[in-house]
Amino acid sequence: MRNTWLIIRREYLERVRTKSFIVSTLLLPALMIALMVLPSKLATLKASGTKRLAVVCANPDFARAVQSQLEAGKIETDKLDTSPRYKVEIVSTPDEATRAALKGRIGAGTLDGYVWLSDDALASRKISYVARETSDFIEAATLQSALKTALLRQELRSRGVAAEDADKLMKGVDLDTVSIKGGQEKKGGGPLQFLSAIVLVMMLYMTLILYGVAVMRSVLEEKTSRVMEVVLSSATAKELMAGKILGVGAVALTQIALWVVIGLGATTPGLLAARNQLSEINLSPAALPAFAVFFVLGFLLYSALYAALGAMVNSEQEAQQWQFLVVMPIIIPIVMMTYVIRQPNAPLSMWMSLVPFFAPILMYIRVVVQMPPLWQIGVCIALLLLTLWGVVTLCSRIYRVGILMYGKKPTLPEIVKWIRYA
Amino acid sequence: MPNTVELENVCKSYDHFVAVDALSLEIRAGSVYGLLGPNGAGKTSTIRMMIGITVPDSGAIRVFGEPFRRQHLSRIGYLPEERGLYKRMKLLDQLVFLAELKGVPAAEAARKATEWCERLELGAWMGKKIEELSKGMQQKVQFIATLLHDPALLILDEPFAGLDPANAVALKDVLLEMKQAGRTILFSTHRMDQVERLCDSICLIDHGKAVLQGDLKQIKAKFGRHDVQLKYEGEDNFLSDGELVQSFNNYGNYVEVRLKPGADPQDLLRLAASRARVDKFELMEPSLEEIFLEVVGRRDA
Repeated sequence: MRNTWLIIRREYLERVRTKSFIVSTLLLPALMIALMVLPSKLATLKASGTKRLAVVCANPDFARAVQSQLEAGKIETDKLDTSPRYKVEIVSTPDEATRAALKGRIGAGTLDGYVWLSDDALASRKISYVARETSDFIEAATLQSALKTALLRQELRSRGVAAEDADKLMKGVDLDTVSIKGGQEKKGGGPLQFLSAIVLVMMLYMTLILYGVAVMRSVLEEKTSRVMEVVLSSATAKELMAGKILGVGAVALTQIALWVVIGLGATTPGLLAARNQLSEINLSPAALPAFAVFFVLGFLLYSALYAALGAMVNSEQEAQQWQFLVVMPIIIPIVMMTYVIRQPNAPLSMWMSLVPFFAPILMYIRVVVQMPPLWQIGVCIALLLLTLWGVVTLCSRIYRVGILMYGKKPTLPEIVKWIRYA
Repeated sequence: MPNTVELENVCKSYDHFVAVDALSLEIRAGSVYGLLGPNGAGKTSTIRMMIGITVPDSGAIRVFGEPFRRQHLSRIGYLPEERGLYKRMKLLDQLVFLAELKGVPAAEAARKATEWCERLELGAWMGKKIEELSKGMQQKVQFIATLLHDPALLILDEPFAGLDPANAVALKDVLLEMKQAGRTILFSTHRMDQVERLCDSICLIDHGKAVLQGDLKQIKAKFGRHDVQLKYEGEDNFLSDGELVQSFNNYGNYVEVRLKPGADPQDLLRLAASRARVDKFELMEPSLEEIFLEVVGRRDA
């Protein structure tokens, strides 16, 4: 026990003190925040400035309808900026002279584009938009929807529907999702819930892989630096492996805790501002405790595999050739992730989430998205613990023999033999 | 006082390869013991079993008079042949960690480590990472690590490999001190010339078997004194005396003579002195290496 504790402490302190730990602890939240903030900033940058459009139409009522529809649209990406996206002028003579004049103005840069709404075009509903730049597909969609709305409104009016009735008819639809859980209604989450589930799962996945590999590297380092034998003259291979896994695991938990603290600190103002959208996120209250449980179990399972891998090989390169064996069972649940989020209670989701190697990620998704029946979680954790016991036993045998084997690459039959050594 | 280490019919094989074959030996408390033999003879395998890194297939191992238990490890210091330290750990932290694993309290470990570093001229490097140290310094650090818990039994696998002459002398001095303080020292090496002056007893092993073991002086007495080195001026016809001389290697006025078994070297000296002027006459002790080659050669023949 004392030895294991000393090894945990060494592993922990040596890692936490490294520059790379400090850098990654600070850099990742910075990167995440940059990823969240930059795209919207960039979008604002691009959309900044009002576009000057001309609507060429002989029918002044219809032209005004299109104009008001377009000018009502604001630049959405920044709530404080209320400048309209388009400034629209109306030209009432759809003839060739006008077309030439407009083309000239676009060339001179005093106009950004025009929409050609001749009677023919309206009748056939084939409308041309001429502009300096036409690659912005969002703009094309905006124009399309504005024209469609204006046409619909005009059509309704021409059939004798009053203006306010037309507005009522054309009102959009809000969809409120509600899920029934144990006879109780729960407000369902929209895309934000989907996103937050993905963020949590990716965090779990990343830490499992990153710190599993850290365990492997650490074993490999002891092996290549030959310090192993000195340590083994005081501690057993079991103590060494346990100390290593627990020490690295403690570092991982520390880093996650720091990320959470930094992340919350940095985003609190933003979170407060976006309170309303956030209330739509309907994470199960079990999301955080489940993260802890599935992280710990998943980490122990995978780091035992990584420790055995590190003991089997003699160099990083060799380790890379084998690593897919360990990475594969982590990748499969990531591939399944979207399916399970969308259909958490489908039979496939249920069975896959019970498989011990997939459980840390898939069962966790189900807990976050929609709480599965408790017996399933119970069975899942029991299976996971059982597998963990088996894997640790096997891996510690591979580890015990492997760490003293230098130079030669072990073959599969040899590894089986290592496992058989009592 | 019980023997520090006793091996009784210890066997260990890996797959199809027998590393240690029915080896028995006894290491007296307070003695310096040499476990000698060529590379691959089974020395490291034997040592690993003494300290519980591996378990013998059969046979018994007693340490400090008791069957081996892990608690014994706190009284054993081990310098493995494959040297290694945590490269990115600082010198002092490293020594304290390794001593703590042996049960030494951290404060005491730090104090002793500092003393040893000062003595072995590493004082200025205690805050440096191991990877910043030269190979020779790393060797010294490793050596200190085996001593910090003041072990009753010191096991050194190829201790002089890679040491420069100055450091080798420093190491030898420390070892002699340990011996005078009553510690037991086990050397394992294939460089027999390096340890034969230090050892009280030896065990020569080859292919996992003991081929020769016992008190070094007795072994030398048993094997030896057939060779004479002689420096002379004058006639050399005393070399052709068939009664005394078996063979010789003449370099002019310096000659190495192998005597016939049972011949008295004094007879050769008298004979030589009667024919020539003898400047130097020395009975050559056979080196351990020669003894080893002789024993192995005889066995193989």
